[in-house]
Amino acid sequence: REAFGEDAEPKVAEEEEEQRRSHKQIEESRQRLAKLLFDGTQMVTNIQVAADARETQRRAEEAELKLQRVEKLESEAKSSTYKFEEISSKWALAKEMTIPQELWQLLNQQQQQCALLLEEKNKLIGELQEELKNKDEQYVQAIKKQSDDIYLLLERMEEQIRIMLKTYRHKLLQIEKAFELERRELLDNNRKKWEEAIQAHNAQELEYVRARMRKVEEFEKQLNRLRVQDEEEYNSMKIQLETDVQNLERQLQQMKAIYQLNQEKLDYNLQVLKKQDEENTIIRSQQKRKLNRLHSLLNNLRTKLASQEKQFREENQSLAADCERIVGQCKEVQSRMRHFAVSDAEKFTEVWLMNEEEAKGLMRKALDADRIIHTQQLGLPWEEPRYWFLGNVGPLGHYKAKRMATKLAAEVLIVGSREGGKENTTKVEDRLTPLRNISKKTAKRILELVSDESGFLIESKLLRPLHELGRHERTLMKLDSIFAALKIDSEDDLYQLVDFFLKYKAQEVALPGGTWLLGRRRWWKAQRPACWPSLQSQGSPGGEDIMDPAEDREDGGSDAQRDETKSPRSSRGSLPSVCIHADDVLKILKAFARDFDKLREKDRPAKEVLQVQDSSKDGEYWEALAHVIPEPTLKLWDALMVALEEYYEVLKRRASLLAEAAVLQQQNSELYLLLEEYVSSGVNNKLLSPPTQWMDLSLSCPGEAQ
Amino acid sequence: HYTHRIIEDPEWSLATVPHLTELCLQHIVHNFEKNPILDRLLPEHQRKVLDRLSTGLPLTVTANLISNEDYWKRCCTERWQVCDISNYGDSWKRMFFERHLENILKRFIPNTTDPNQVLELIPLCKDYVRKLEVDQFLPPVKVDQKEERDDLSDTGSEFGLSEVSVHHYDLGVLITALPHLEELHLTYGVKDCGMNFEWNLFNFTYQDCCNLAVAVKMCHNLKVFKLTRSKVDDDKTRLLVRNLLDHPCLVELNLSHNLIRDKGARAVGKLINRSRLEILDLCNNQICHLGAQALAQALAENSTLTSLNLRLNCVEDEGGEAIGRALLTNTTLKSIHLGSNNLSEPTATLFSQVLAQNTTLTSINFSCNHLGLDGGKQLLDGLADNKALTEFDLRLAEVGQETEYLIHQIVWANREAARLGSLQHPSTKPL
Repeated sequence: REAFGEDAEPKVAEEEEEQRRSHKQIEESRQRLAKLLFDGTQMVTNIQVAADARETQRRAEEAELKLQRVEKLESEAKSSTYKFEEISSKWALAKEMTIPQELWQLLNQQQQQCALLLEEKNKLIGELQEELKNKDEQYVQAIKKQSDDIYLLLERMEEQIRIMLKTYRHKLLQIEKAFELERRELLDNNRKKWEEAIQAHNAQELEYVRARMRKVEEFEKQLNRLRVQDEEEYNSMKIQLETDVQNLERQLQQMKAIYQLNQEKLDYNLQVLKKQDEENTIIRSQQKRKLNRLHSLLNNLRTKLASQEKQFREENQSLAADCERIVGQCKEVQSRMRHFAVSDAEKFTEVWLMNEEEAKGLMRKALDADRIIHTQQLGLPWEEPRYWFLGNVGPLGHYKAKRMATKLAAEVLIVGSREGGKENTTKVEDRLTPLRNISKKTAKRILELVSDESGFLIESKLLRPLHELGRHERTLMKLDSIFAALKIDSEDDLYQLVDFFLKYKAQEVALPGGTWLLGRRRWWKAQRPACWPSLQSQGSPGGEDIMDPAEDREDGGSDAQRDETKSPRSSRGSLPSVCIHADDVLKILKAFARDFDKLREKDRPAKEVLQVQDSSKDGEYWEALAHVIPEPTLKLWDALMVALEEYYEVLKRRASLLAEAAVLQQQNSELYLLLEEYVSSGVNNKLLSPPTQWMDLSLSCPGEAQ
Repeated sequence: HYTHRIIEDPEWSLATVPHLTELCLQHIVHNFEKNPILDRLLPEHQRKVLDRLSTGLPLTVTANLISNEDYWKRCCTERWQVCDISNYGDSWKRMFFERHLENILKRFIPNTTDPNQVLELIPLCKDYVRKLEVDQFLPPVKVDQKEERDDLSDTGSEFGLSEVSVHHYDLGVLITALPHLEELHLTYGVKDCGMNFEWNLFNFTYQDCCNLAVAVKMCHNLKVFKLTRSKVDDDKTRLLVRNLLDHPCLVELNLSHNLIRDKGARAVGKLINRSRLEILDLCNNQICHLGAQALAQALAENSTLTSLNLRLNCVEDEGGEAIGRALLTNTTLKSIHLGSNNLSEPTATLFSQVLAQNTTLTSINFSCNHLGLDGGKQLLDGLADNKALTEFDLRLAEVGQETEYLIHQIVWANREAARLGSLQHPSTKPL
């Protein structure tokens, strides 16, 4: 049933809203069956429950009975022990009895009492046995009752099963009936619906048929009409087409005629073309042959070309080797030449110096002679001539060796320090020309800055002893090492450095920031050709400046040069002598170090070129040296010589006379000696009047008298 | 020649001559005991052979070779009249072996029967036996009673009183050798003793209990253990419980119709929380309020037990109240039976509270108590808002007919609701 109910349930869930009769039936049956089942189980289990209840009751009663029994037994035991004590106490009494009757009586009594006690005990035992029997009976009854119960249980169970079966069958039948009923209803409903639908369908069909008929008729009419119309159209069309056909046939004829004509033309053309073709083939073969010939020619030429190329290449190679060798030789020769040039120059200098020395010696001798002549012979005051060549040492046009940069720096610094005292301003100004156009103040400042700021370039070993020196020396030492690090060793380099600083400043003022470098380079390129020659030519007057600044002014050539240099100086002097900030020094130095190498390399060839000496003045120089004594002097000398020769003659005579006098004197002195000998000898002493006393011995020697 | 035959014997036909295969199969069937050939045959031949095999073949041949259910069905039906296969997992073979083993155990007389009878059977049946239901264990017999031995009902009659060893068969060897054993139903007693009744026929000794406890402990797959009508007292209960503590599988324990008192109940209470017990049956013991309190304490902490049966004990109101209090916190117990426990109104009062609070309890049995009219009314009040309870037995509880009827109505409504809920729940899934 449960299974059935569960089977039916999903249906209910599916169509719950309908609540069909069958489901109602099922639900009702299910509930009734559940009730029945529950009641049945209740009925069956009632027996068990009743048995349980009986059992509990029995247990309770049993417990009570047990208690009673125990109580009874205890009271019995108490009373019997009492009695037993009584009896036993009487036994002690009996021992004291001496009279037999009394004793017998007592014994009887005791026996009676014992019997009584025993009887009581037996009674109790009997009671208990009876109770046991009762219990047995009860047990049998209970067993019977139990078997009855079990029978009842079985009966009820069977009955239950029977009832359940019956009801289940009944309910099943009912449910089936309900389902059938429902199905029949459903069928009826559906059939009804179906019939209705069929009828509707039929009616519609009829309608459709009628409509169709109508339409068919209509269409037939239309068709007829259309047919007539089309026929007419067809006829007209046919006539038209026939005329068209005639026209076209005519045209066809024409076309055929044209075709004939064309065919003939074409045939002719074909013939012509064929002939042309033949000719062409002949020409082609000729050309082909020619082509072959030319090809072979070309090949020959190619081989020739190749061989020639080869030849030329070889030649070229050999020539290149030659060239290389010659270049090598040339270089060698050049180097040798340079070497010889140098050695020549040295030799030249040496020879020059030697000759100059010699010449100067001679000149000096001449001048000395002149002076002596003037002063001693003529008694005239002698004035030493002042010539430009007198001071010259070494070959002309040979630049004074560049002062060392450090020396220059030292000078600058010294100047700068002296400047505070404002003494010798003009001289200082002149002295500063080595630093050309830059004011010494600025130069000094720059150098000091460099020395202060680029201490890192100085070796640490050097730094320590520096502290002990004075400020000036320290700056110098520092500069020295800095220059060593920057590879600045000549005056020019230093100049460049200072100049660089100034320009840098100027550029920075003009062009701020990054465009500076580029601008500066451009500036250099523009400036160099203009400024370098002037700088170089300034060398020789610069050298003279040191010796004698006064003469420098007298020299016209140098003056002119000076003017030349002055113009750039004035222009560059206008460069602001602004103070360069200490932080910029490093930057500038860096830029300088980068550019400096380039500059120097560019300088070198220029220097070499400029070292070609000009010997134009050599002759003049030597001439001048030769004519150190002027013409009037020479004439004077000639006259003097004549006079002197005369004088000499006189003197010669005098000399001879003197010689005679000398001989005479000698004779005299000899005589004198002899005389003295005589005088000093002892003879004289013996003499009364020695000749010595009267002889004038104080005669002076004639030599002395002169 | 043929024609001759046919003429001679009009009924002769070639069809009557059996096929060679048929003959072979016949031969196989006849000699199956000596030469069992089955696996190598074609399926249809196998079926034929199995159909014809005798049921009397020794088990050593058939046990592990034949798995065909039809053959075992024949064996069972030939041997027993009533065969309810649903109790044996719908397996005829299992049924055959279990009942065979049970029969042997029931007739086993210690010291007389050859223990090999059992031991030989172990390798044959160990793969099939899952349940053992032995309702009789025979005590050992004295030598001079040999003549009565074949008559089972006569065993141990007059001389039972003597001090001979009365231990029963030790199940240890057997049980530990059955790897699939899941259920064990035992009753140490003698059936059908009739007028030969002796008390010592029903003597479940301490030694027996020891053996049994050790055996059960070794049986790791055991799920159901029933030891009923065996005079299990407190000491034996404690021994059993000690060995059953932390058993990995045990789900159901039935110690009904024994002599367990409060100490035993306390031990069982300890077991509840140290195992996975779900069903506990202690009906018809002698547990009083102390034991009930111990059980209640265990119940309050437990979360596995679903059914507890204390029918026919005497826990009285003290024990009943303790259990009621435990049920206020417990959320797993579904069914409780407190019938015939001498309960009265205070327990009913407490249980009305339980009914108002607890939502897991579905079945309560208070039959055969003295709850009284007021107690019944209180229970009715408590039940007013309860939607979980589907069974409430108050027969013979003196609660009055009207109350009983009203309670019945409520419970019936709850049951209907539960039925609808359980119907809707599975019906939503297919949708």
